[in-house]
Amino acid sequence: MHLNAVKGATAAAVLLGVLLCPQLSLAQTSGSSSSSASHSPQDQTGQQTPAKKNSSGTSSSLPSAPAPAQAPQEPSLQDLGFSQQQMQSNPALQARLNRRTEMLKLHQRLGLITIAPMAAALITGPMAKAKGRNGQIIKEPTAANLDMHAALGSATAALYFTSASLAIFAPKIPGEKKRGAIRMHEALAFVHVPGMVLTPILGAMAFSQEENGEKVHGIASAHGAVATITAIAYGTSIVAVAWPIHLKFWEKK
Amino acid sequence: MKSRFLAATILLAAVPSFGQKASQWGLAQSSLSYHATSPVHEVNGVSNAAKGKGVCQNEECDFLVAAPVKSFSSGDTNRDLHMLEATRGAENPMVVVRAKFPEVELGQATIYADLEVQFAGQTANYSHIAFQREAQGNEMRITGTVPATCSDFKFEKPSFLGMTISNDIPVHVDATWKQM
Repeated sequence: MHLNAVKGATAAAVLLGVLLCPQLSLAQTSGSSSSSASHSPQDQTGQQTPAKKNSSGTSSSLPSAPAPAQAPQEPSLQDLGFSQQQMQSNPALQARLNRRTEMLKLHQRLGLITIAPMAAALITGPMAKAKGRNGQIIKEPTAANLDMHAALGSATAALYFTSASLAIFAPKIPGEKKRGAIRMHEALAFVHVPGMVLTPILGAMAFSQEENGEKVHGIASAHGAVATITAIAYGTSIVAVAWPIHLKFWEKK
Repeated sequence: MKSRFLAATILLAAVPSFGQKASQWGLAQSSLSYHATSPVHEVNGVSNAAKGKGVCQNEECDFLVAAPVKSFSSGDTNRDLHMLEATRGAENPMVVVRAKFPEVELGQATIYADLEVQFAGQTANYSHIAFQREAQGNEMRITGTVPATCSDFKFEKPSFLGMTISNDIPVHVDATWKQM
């Protein structure tokens, strides 16, 4: 009876070894690449514990079996190979981004508001144009027309430069290469910024010449043309930063 | 008799271990793209910088995918920086998606996964999201859309020229996984 018991136990152990060996080699193959997961506290889940115990328990009863195989852990962020810098929170950058957005939103708002006095100044421009000849008393434009045009021009310039300064002084994000519509928006500034500087200067010269009873002449006569080019560049700049536009108002449900 | 009982017990204890074959998957290539709409714009922001790992064992699969928030590019720096600001992407630099689904679905054309998405400092859960699976040798391509919304992650909707984007920002996933 004792002999039978020994035989039975031996047979069971042999059968168990034969059955478990392929599984061990498989588990080792898949477990080897997950070794880096072990440092994560997240990985130590209760779900994995029985599998681990099973593997190590088997290897101790089978001296010739491969090294204990670890069942793969639940994947963690640390397994994926992102650098610490990529995963690290950066409150200073967030504050910079917040400040930047705040300033650029105001830049947008003032930029759009600027369209109104700019358009009005363009419309009142021809009305402020003297029609008399050199040396004659100029009856047109009336002082009211000139004053209105000058006021609109001044308001345009004030709003424009305030808006521009918000964009210029908005915090820059280090290492950010400019792509997309913003490039055209910024390129057009090389046209409308000088235009916005020149237009009031030429306007003041023209105003002075008219005040002296002279027909506007010389470089001051380019005031209207410069203003028009500036306004076109400015309008294009607004459209450019919004490009491509997909109007979907009618699709709203 | 005792020994037979002992042998049977040992064998029975060993049997469940056969079902614990584990498989591991690595993300070979991927494209994650969010789609945002406003009354005047349609925007797609794409990231190819995601990394991922999947483990299937005990009849369940657990896949993890993560991408830096700043890796999403819509082709416009200004818009991307605004997105980064709105989603608090500097403070919470990673978008992390954990998907769980039954292992048996790895052999099916459609996988229904429960997702846990960490983004913008918030965690949102999506249940039973369908992904299409296409086997390609020892690789599988998974495509699908996560029906994310701005309100799920409690961030202020970005706006341009005074027009805010719609609340829906579905994220399309196209990922090729390779068995490790």
